[in-house]
Amino acid sequence: MSRLQAEDLYKVFGRRPDQAVEKLRHGADREELRAGGTTAAVIDASFTVEPGQIFVVMGLSGSGKSTLLRMLNGLLEPTAGHVRFDGQDLTALSPRDLRAVRSKKISMVFQHFALFPHRSVMENAAYGLEVQGVPRKEREKRAIEALRLAGLAGWEKSWPDELSGGMQQRVGLARALATDADLLLMDESFSALDPLIRRDMQDQLLELQKTLKKTIVFITHDLNEAMRLGDRIAVMRDGRIVQIGTAEDILVRPANDYVASFIQDVDRSRVLTAGAIMTDVPEDYVHGDAPATVTEDTPVIELFTPCSTVGVAVAVADKSGKLLGVVTRERLLGVLGEAIQPAEQPSLTKTEQAEQAEQTEQAEQTEQDDVPTPRGEGDEPVEKVITGA
Amino acid sequence: MPRIPFGNWVNSVVEWLLSHAAWLFDFFKNVFNGAYDGINWVLQAPQPLILAGIFAVIAFWLRGTVAGVLTFVGFAFIDSLELWDHAMMTLSLVLVATIIALVISVPVGIWAARSNRVSAVVRPVLDFMQTLPAMIYLIPAILFFGSGAPAGIVATLIFALAPGVRMTELGIRQVDKELVEAADAFGDTPRNTLFRVQLPLALPSIMAGVNQVIMLGLSMAAIAGMVGSEGLGADVNEAIGQLNVGLGSESGVAIVILAIYLDRMTSALGTQASPMGRRALAKVRAAHGLTVWNYRPRPAVAVVGVVVLALVAGGMGMFGAATTQAPVADASNVGKGKKISIGYIPWDEGVASTFLWKEILEERGFQVEAKQLDAGPLYTSLASGQVDFETDSWLPTTHAQYWKKYGKQLDDLGAWYGQTSLELSVPAYMKGIDSLDDLKGKSATFDGKITGIESSAGMMGLLKDKVLKEYGLDKEYRVVDSSTPAMLAQLKRAYAKKQPIVTTLWSPHWAYSDYKLKKLKDPKGAWGKGDGVHTLSRKGFAADNPEVGAWLKNFRMTEKQLTSLEADINKAGKGKQQDAVKAWLKANPGVVDKLAPVKKSSTAGGTGEAARPVNVAWFPWDEDVAVTYLWKRVLGDRGYKLNLKQMDVGPVYTGLGSGDLDVNFDAWLPYAQKNYWDKHKDNLKDLGSWYSPTSLEIAVPSYVKGVKSLEDLKGKGKTFDGKIIGIEPGTGEMNLLKKNVLPGYGLDKEYKVVDGSTPAMLAELKRAYAKKQPVAVVLWSPHWAYSQYQLNKLTDSKKLFGEGNTIRTIVNKGFPSKYPQLTKWFKNFKMSESELGSLEAEIKKRGQGHEEQAVDAWLKTHKDVADRMAPQ
Repeated sequence: MSRLQAEDLYKVFGRRPDQAVEKLRHGADREELRAGGTTAAVIDASFTVEPGQIFVVMGLSGSGKSTLLRMLNGLLEPTAGHVRFDGQDLTALSPRDLRAVRSKKISMVFQHFALFPHRSVMENAAYGLEVQGVPRKEREKRAIEALRLAGLAGWEKSWPDELSGGMQQRVGLARALATDADLLLMDESFSALDPLIRRDMQDQLLELQKTLKKTIVFITHDLNEAMRLGDRIAVMRDGRIVQIGTAEDILVRPANDYVASFIQDVDRSRVLTAGAIMTDVPEDYVHGDAPATVTEDTPVIELFTPCSTVGVAVAVADKSGKLLGVVTRERLLGVLGEAIQPAEQPSLTKTEQAEQAEQTEQAEQTEQDDVPTPRGEGDEPVEKVITGA
Repeated sequence: MPRIPFGNWVNSVVEWLLSHAAWLFDFFKNVFNGAYDGINWVLQAPQPLILAGIFAVIAFWLRGTVAGVLTFVGFAFIDSLELWDHAMMTLSLVLVATIIALVISVPVGIWAARSNRVSAVVRPVLDFMQTLPAMIYLIPAILFFGSGAPAGIVATLIFALAPGVRMTELGIRQVDKELVEAADAFGDTPRNTLFRVQLPLALPSIMAGVNQVIMLGLSMAAIAGMVGSEGLGADVNEAIGQLNVGLGSESGVAIVILAIYLDRMTSALGTQASPMGRRALAKVRAAHGLTVWNYRPRPAVAVVGVVVLALVAGGMGMFGAATTQAPVADASNVGKGKKISIGYIPWDEGVASTFLWKEILEERGFQVEAKQLDAGPLYTSLASGQVDFETDSWLPTTHAQYWKKYGKQLDDLGAWYGQTSLELSVPAYMKGIDSLDDLKGKSATFDGKITGIESSAGMMGLLKDKVLKEYGLDKEYRVVDSSTPAMLAQLKRAYAKKQPIVTTLWSPHWAYSDYKLKKLKDPKGAWGKGDGVHTLSRKGFAADNPEVGAWLKNFRMTEKQLTSLEADINKAGKGKQQDAVKAWLKANPGVVDKLAPVKKSSTAGGTGEAARPVNVAWFPWDEDVAVTYLWKRVLGDRGYKLNLKQMDVGPVYTGLGSGDLDVNFDAWLPYAQKNYWDKHKDNLKDLGSWYSPTSLEIAVPSYVKGVKSLEDLKGKGKTFDGKIIGIEPGTGEMNLLKKNVLPGYGLDKEYKVVDGSTPAMLAELKRAYAKKQPVAVVLWSPHWAYSQYQLNKLTDSKKLFGEGNTIRTIVNKGFPSKYPQLTKWFKNFKMSESELGSLEAEIKKRGQGHEEQAVDAWLKTHKDVADRMAPQ
């Protein structure tokens, strides 16, 4: 299994990039450099992506996320720092070896699909294999399989311009899947699609991911998309990564005002799940009294109706029916408030507060220790870091 | 501001390149020449209509039925204009230039698309090449590459490269960046990205570039003609030089047909070649359904069609090529069993002369095959080289249509029998019918029939199309096609019964000795002048068989010899012709040795200089046309081969100086072409004057009263609008006029000399003359304008135009040592005013394209000239 690691990545465009990196390391900011005619697109980006994870990089346009992505497969050479993939330092490779890595291990899906208009759907899907030098018969077989996975069985003979936008991006996805690359880089891949189709594509990606378990780096400016897809999310601003964490981390504990304002418009009731906000089962709780029993990944919005009927907390159980936690009416209302700060949560009990702190610690630890998440081992697409202790 | 000697620098660079990089230019020259000759050979090999068919199939495939039909019509039209050969030369030149342009421009375009630095360097170079006036690089092109096809190719190339580079660069640059990034992201190498993504997507743009390259190349065709490239360009130049708008437009239209064809085909190929284009086409077709008009064969069908036609064409070419490969016979041991094939039409004089030669050549050790053919197939076989020669061509009238069609693939070895005539004849007992006019109203007597011969015979065509119409007999009489023996049989039968009969007949014919016949007079001359019976051979036969060629060229028969031989053969009957010839030869001893002298070597001047072709440059001016074709004919008889190249003055001097050309007969020195002479005189040699005196002058139409001398021009500036219409600026005459003449007569304030060109001056003269407007033009004598228009030469009492030029023969410096015999002949060459005048008039009468016949005719009335020019 592969693992992608970015270490202190810098990308500076313009004259004397090395000097600019030095300045940035000594605390200069982007505006200073811009006055000198150089643009710092990515500043000191470090993160790790575990095998089988979807790692979302989110930010507004100009925040450097596309530049960051292109450094990961060597399309852009970092001005400083290293990209390690599968134990290999990509930044140290010769262009030839780098191309070999790109053709076999890393593939990419583009915002505007980037399908070749002079090739049929099948030839497009088989392109990466053609680059690898796979014989025609074999590559056609694999391309057809990839197209089937992407939901385009039977469209092999068509031409890209005969397909709708969503279908075209499926071809783009099939092209990326056909090469059997471990790492999938997706550059705002669904941004150009209209909302319904975008949702379909997200579902399909999650569905595929259940079986394929690729390592995916997904770029988006759409927070809802980030929350839906991301096992972990990095928020970028002005070339820097300002926060890395799970969707709940970002929502519940934004690192600064910027992230807070960024998540302001997010529909929390749809993004947060029962598992993320549940509290421990009180000792006097009787499961039979619960107005409803939900699973961990039930969106919060579905808890309102049961909570409003009776005063008893809603039960959260796993598939086998084992009680994991409860969501009380107070808790439910509390999490809907703006940028939840642990200290300001009146509804939390003392134990809950302590637990919260512990969990935060745990989350931080997770980041530092690179412990593989349980994700990808179970059938559940989303398993949250905050689980019952 | 100091004078920057930019021109001198350029001169130095040119000099340096000439002395140091000659090998490089020679290499390119050989490449260009080889490519041109190769393509030209392929295009010239097939029959015109077969090749037109091939072009049509290609059009059918690429664009559909209508395009295919139009293509065939267009090319057939070119063929009917008798411009086929030249059109194919032009096409070859353009194709070679295009191929080379693409070989250079596509890679450069790709390079420029990938590197902004290269692009920045390339762009101004392209601007330079495209806007620099062609004349500026034409002359250096001759210096470096010699005149003819290579210089034309270079000129075309320079002009046509730019769009190829530009469109390639543009095409690649406008390929979506994201697609290139996608290719990169999948690890494709830059090279494969180019071939898998960029080039296929840039293809429409690149094909548009190809299209532009070809169009610009064709538009340069006329200019290429100025440096001696053969083809339509040369025709255009020649026609314009002689102010023959009609002929010029014929060539022009031929160029346009080529251009339209190439344009449509390359643009169709553009869509056909790119997958996107093919899909768009398929969609359109699906939308419109399949009809005859937009039906297009699948590529496989089209390829089969082209291949079949090409095989037919190639097969014909192969026969021609095979026979020309024959080894050259040894003069001392003639024949050696070498095969010679004679074709004949079963006409009496043809049978007689053919079997005479069969017998003679067999006695000289050749293996001779005599094939009887119809006239049409005979000429075709001769043109394709399957038959070596035939002795029975009635030229210039009777067989004119064949000569027109095949003349270029044949060599005329001259007439062996003098005046012949064609006629309608009636038996002498038909009283009151003595001329063609008398036939009128007598159709009842003759049953409305004229007994004819083979319908393929030239005289039958002449009779039906011309003679009957002229005498108004075409409604009254029907010409019965049959055969010569049938006609003679009819005649014999009718004669025996004293019945009325009118037959087609010709002289000499034995019928006139056997029967009493009257030749019907032809007061309107509808039958044309008497023909000579010519010997024609396939192209190059005389060169392959110098002995036989010389014998045939000197072949003559008297009427007595011929009719007696014919009568003998006729008596012997079919199948025994050769026996009759043998008997006749016994009765006429000495004929064989006279006709086929063994000792006499072929006619070259002993030194072998005749083996080297001589490159003669000529201007499309009357005196030069006359003298050049005269020399061509005279030296041709002496075994020399002259390559004629028509060119402009500047290129001629440049070519002579560089040794690329050998001779020019029309150097006006010491004044008119002084500037050119001075520039190149170190590399030229003057072989003296053959015509003098000439004069330079200003001429005005005679209807402008009161202007007889240069002094008279004074004060008349208003009349002439203050203008004197000049010719090319920088020529000797123009310099003289501006520097000496006008100031000398005090006219320089009043008149402005309009710089232009000779054709422009003549056009202006023609226009003004037609409207009777006053005009003053720069002119010289001799010039045909004086015979065409009533012009006054303004007298030059102060002799400021100089004492008159002489027309001199100039050659390259190395010529005298290479061609001592020719040098001697050229030095002694003189022509009188009446000789030149009558020859010019003869040429003018026969029209462009018939110069050689005109010279032949003229030489017949000036029998001493040839021996005087080149004494043997």
